[in-house]
Amino acid sequence: MAAIDAPAAARAPREVNRQARTAWGLATPALALMFLILLVPVVVAGVLSFTNYSLGNSGFDWVGFKNYDRLFSRSTYEKMFVATFTYVAVVVPVSVALGLGAALLVNSLGRIGDVYKTIYFLPVMATLLAMAIVWEFMLHPTIGVINQTLELSCGTFLEVIPFLGNGCADGFPLWLGDRDYAIWVLCFIGIWQGFGFNMVLYLAGLTAVHRELYHAAEMDGAKSAWERFRLVTWPALGPTTVFVVTISCIRAFQVFDTVEAFWPQGGGPNKSTYVMMFAIFEKGVQQNLIGIGSAITMLFLVFVMFLTLIQRWLVERKVHY
Amino acid sequence: MAGLSISSVTKRFGDTEVLKGVTLDVADAEFVSLVGPSGCGKSTLLRIIAGLEDPTSGDIAIDGKGVTGTRAADRNLSMVFQSYALYPHLTVAENIAVPLRMRSLTATQRLPLIGPFLPGAKDQRAEIATAVQKAAEMLEIGTLLDRKPGQLSGGQRQRVALGRALVRDPAAFLLDEPLSNLDAKLRVQTRAEIAQLHRRLNATFIYVTHDQVEAMTMSDRIAVMMGGEILQCDAPSVIYEDPSDIRVAEFIGSPKINILPVELSNAELTLSGRVLGRVTESTQAGVFQLGLRPEALKLTQAEPMMAGNVAHMENLGSEVYAQVALADQTARVTLRAAPAERHKLQLGAQVGLGFDLKDGLIFDVDGKRQRRLEVAVTHAREVA
Repeated sequence: MAAIDAPAAARAPREVNRQARTAWGLATPALALMFLILLVPVVVAGVLSFTNYSLGNSGFDWVGFKNYDRLFSRSTYEKMFVATFTYVAVVVPVSVALGLGAALLVNSLGRIGDVYKTIYFLPVMATLLAMAIVWEFMLHPTIGVINQTLELSCGTFLEVIPFLGNGCADGFPLWLGDRDYAIWVLCFIGIWQGFGFNMVLYLAGLTAVHRELYHAAEMDGAKSAWERFRLVTWPALGPTTVFVVTISCIRAFQVFDTVEAFWPQGGGPNKSTYVMMFAIFEKGVQQNLIGIGSAITMLFLVFVMFLTLIQRWLVERKVHY
Repeated sequence: MAGLSISSVTKRFGDTEVLKGVTLDVADAEFVSLVGPSGCGKSTLLRIIAGLEDPTSGDIAIDGKGVTGTRAADRNLSMVFQSYALYPHLTVAENIAVPLRMRSLTATQRLPLIGPFLPGAKDQRAEIATAVQKAAEMLEIGTLLDRKPGQLSGGQRQRVALGRALVRDPAAFLLDEPLSNLDAKLRVQTRAEIAQLHRRLNATFIYVTHDQVEAMTMSDRIAVMMGGEILQCDAPSVIYEDPSDIRVAEFIGSPKINILPVELSNAELTLSGRVLGRVTESTQAGVFQLGLRPEALKLTQAEPMMAGNVAHMENLGSEVYAQVALADQTARVTLRAAPAERHKLQLGAQVGLGFDLKDGLIFDVDGKRQRRLEVAVTHAREVA
């Protein structure tokens, strides 16, 4: 036995080493690419956020936390945060709720549900930039369909509604040109564009709900649709909801094309729609202020990372049974 | 607790007629099994009783009151599902409490956070907790109350599903193949436990299964279903010994009953040319089917009624089953023998088989039992 065991024992570590080397060898291309195209740019952006670098300059100066200091002291950036968080805080809950509602309704239909599914999904498939131009026409203060439709109510009993009454007297809103309306128009288009995607995710989640659970709920005395939803559907959709909320948050933080299409010159009336992505584009690309652009990018990355970590934590702790 | 009555219930799914007029009365505290091959409509019938499915025609009454139009939640029945259908996000205790919470707490009292502080909610919640504890102790799952269904084994989940059914006091328990997901050993154990539970609760049970052993061992009465009809509903011993249809005889009993063609002509009943008995009364001549349980056949040397070679033998220890290929027929018959006779049943051995016609069941070509003919034949033998 000893004669057989000794070489085997000697061979074992060598074999393990060889396997480990092969494994590292095979993983190297993927690791190299990951570093080069994912991690290095992040690190470069992080480094540049502490400089005053501009593209074309031969050198740069270290400015320490000055870029970050500006982000938290200048009123422009205050407006950036207000616009971004307003957009996220409105678009995420509404598009998730609408997505869930649409999914439940579509799911309860038979074959006609497919028609609704396609219709609700159309805005997701369409290019937002092109759609934004169509919205721009519709929202035009004088020749747009929206204000023209609203004007039809003038002279009718509908004028008792304050919004329509005031509109008929003083003219209807300039939608895209009014700082009180611009951000809400942006939110509306974001919801219109995004909820179909959430609906599709929820529809996929709904197929995983065990049908017998609904029968069990009925036998247990859950009489209303709301009680069955609370007892069966909503808990079963927990993992889907976490995913949908995270994806919606990230997409909402990334809103850019609508703003660029509506207000190419500087983020809406009185910077009321100056969202983060647009700020990065304006500072980093249009004005060639790489330092400040990188600082906003890093902040953006922190928000998204934070959301992703919350998602991981929730998924592991709460929604998987 | 209450009795149930099902009268001429039919159910169609499109062009398919799943139930063709089923009538069944279940007495208070009775344990009735619906047994049949898959696709015979037994689960559909149970779901119609539960109210999860509407019958195309016919009526259901619980305790004399018609409930055909009543929704499932208002019928006061409990159901155990084949997949157990436990709520995966709730603990065992919460799962068992659901039927009580849904019925005894108002919608506002069930609200999270503020619900427990509403007037009356505290007492109700305490009552529910006591009831859950009692049910859990009855099923010996008291130590599992804080776990989620995902952390339980199949047998434990099954108990939780039972606990959720018996925590309140329903008019009847409906069980849809509750043992089919358990392994063989656990199935035998749980079978006995459900039967004990029935005696202890003294409640009405309707139990759907495709397993004849479950039906035979647990029920007061068995309803054998096939092709959307109840063929026979009787006590297990009657179903086994005195089936009124050849399909019942073939479905119940393992190994399957032996069916042999017999002929009645000139007042003589013959099996492949051999006279089995004479009929005194004038009975219609024709071809019949003779059913013989494996235990009705005996090994015999003197005047065997059939002869053949042993084609296959199964030794179960306490008894031996042998398949004998009959010399003059293509059919095989199965015979049960005592272990002492095992040496006679070597593969290929020539054996003679005999039986007492009293143990035989005679069916016509359509499968209907011919009790009058049986009596006539036996009577004739006794006279002779």
